[in-house]
Amino acid sequence: MTRREGATPYLFLLPAILLILVWRYIPIIAGLRESFYSNAFSFTGAKEFVGWENYTYLFDDPTYWESVRVTLKFNLIVNPVQVILSLALALLINQKVKGIGFFRTLLLLPIAISINVAALAWGLALDPTYGLVNGILDLLHIPTQPFLLNAQQALPVLIGIVSWIGVPYWALFFLAGLQNIPREIHEAARIDGANRWQGFMQITLPLLNRTTTFVLVATTVANFTMFAPPYLLTNGGPSGATNLIMFDAWKRGFTYGDLGGSAASITVFLGFLIIIVAAEFMIFRPKHD
Amino acid sequence: MDHTESQRFRPSQLWTYLALVILAIIVLLPLEWIIASSFTNRETVFKNVLPFSLKALYPENPTLQGYRAIFNDGYGRAIVNTLGVAITTVLGCLFVGTTAGFAFARFDFRFKGLLWSLVLLSLMVPYEATVIPAYTMINNLGWTNSWQALIVPALANGTVIFLFRQFFAEIPQDFLDAARIDGATWFRVMTSIVLPLSLPVIVTSAVLVFLAQWNSFFWPMLVAPDPNYRMVQVAVSIIGVRQQLTFWDMLFAASTIAAIVPLLLVLPLQRFYISSIMGSGVKG
Repeated sequence: MTRREGATPYLFLLPAILLILVWRYIPIIAGLRESFYSNAFSFTGAKEFVGWENYTYLFDDPTYWESVRVTLKFNLIVNPVQVILSLALALLINQKVKGIGFFRTLLLLPIAISINVAALAWGLALDPTYGLVNGILDLLHIPTQPFLLNAQQALPVLIGIVSWIGVPYWALFFLAGLQNIPREIHEAARIDGANRWQGFMQITLPLLNRTTTFVLVATTVANFTMFAPPYLLTNGGPSGATNLIMFDAWKRGFTYGDLGGSAASITVFLGFLIIIVAAEFMIFRPKHD
Repeated sequence: MDHTESQRFRPSQLWTYLALVILAIIVLLPLEWIIASSFTNRETVFKNVLPFSLKALYPENPTLQGYRAIFNDGYGRAIVNTLGVAITTVLGCLFVGTTAGFAFARFDFRFKGLLWSLVLLSLMVPYEATVIPAYTMINNLGWTNSWQALIVPALANGTVIFLFRQFFAEIPQDFLDAARIDGATWFRVMTSIVLPLSLPVIVTSAVLVFLAQWNSFFWPMLVAPDPNYRMVQVAVSIIGVRQQLTFWDMLFAASTIAAIVPLLLVLPLQRFYISSIMGSGVKG
């Protein structure tokens, strides 16, 4: 199928490989390097090598650990919620009922909207005094809520906002997986006397394993690196309740000028994320594939 | 997306419809409220929310006040900037993606496996994690507040290369051989035979890259804060972060435009967008 063509292949590949090396790989190495250097420029005009100093400083900062705790809490809830709800949504819009094409288009609309427009829009709708949601709660004689202004409510509200985009987005992958399952398999199971729940547990779910693993890993990466909602809506507050790790790292670097600390935080975070993703792959990997 | 298989109505379907309608409300209500409010007078925009009246969901006396305010504030410039950056990035990504995709699909050469894993691995690295060191690189290059800072890093798009490679691998070899025997260069084979066959994957990649640039926020906020280079999402968020109530009509108008453009693009090209999302994931 393929031919030997001398230098031609390398010429064709040159722009792509160069761009990927420079803009995808070098930043990782540069970040790693940055985490071992001081922020302040020394007399010689160069940054000084400080060893693990940025790391020890970071680990001594209670704000950092609070941010780690919040990020873990956020992800322990948001990832399973998004996987389960997106599968449920895919099952729903995969039903063969009249008008389903219309509903499918409608329910997938949020995927085209950027996370920050969604965050800002929901920020307006959830405003305690002037927001649409409290207007509707009041109409239903339910007490109005502080939402993002309350330390207990802020994180769950943030989970809801990111899921407004996340659930339809990941549902798309499940929908594709569902449509790849031949109808005959379901029919055969029904003839064998399996009810809907048994059919789902014993046929649909195992056949979706690849998709489920992919969605789980992809949501994990997307949600662990979440930045815009705390930046736009809460500034990490109230009292650190939404201080997600990417936002915390950004603040270290750009608000407090601690680029070394920011790089150290991101390096630790990347290492941690690789371990989590590898663990998810190990646990959920399809058995025979 | 077949809706020809619809069956006659059964009572059990009532629950399906109930769920569909409730979800449709959750999706549409905030969008509808924001669009309606963007056409509502600054002074009356909240009057109908608490206590709630249905008037909150349609503008009684439609006004363009909010839109006029954002365009006086440089929002038009941000839209033009974003369109220019997005279209240039699309063209660049198509060039990089087609050439690399073709090489990976059609040529045999040393280090092919290694270079291909380099592309695939780059898909796994969350871009957010590389943003801050990449920003330092932009700084060192003296590219802060420049078009190349917004465009060049976005050309390193492994997904587009992946999509083209998968597509090109399916083209029958005879097509290419015939042209090569006629003495055409590989560049001519690309432009006159391969690309005309590749319209679906070109549209898919174009939609993917355009939306990524239209919706990008973190990166342009860091590398191009200057109003002359301001991108749409940055402009929206600047209006959003000001957040004093007096600016809400502007935020409604800016959010409406920022959301409508991708929706207008995705609705007619839905098939391509969906295949782009799925092509980048499940098959990989």
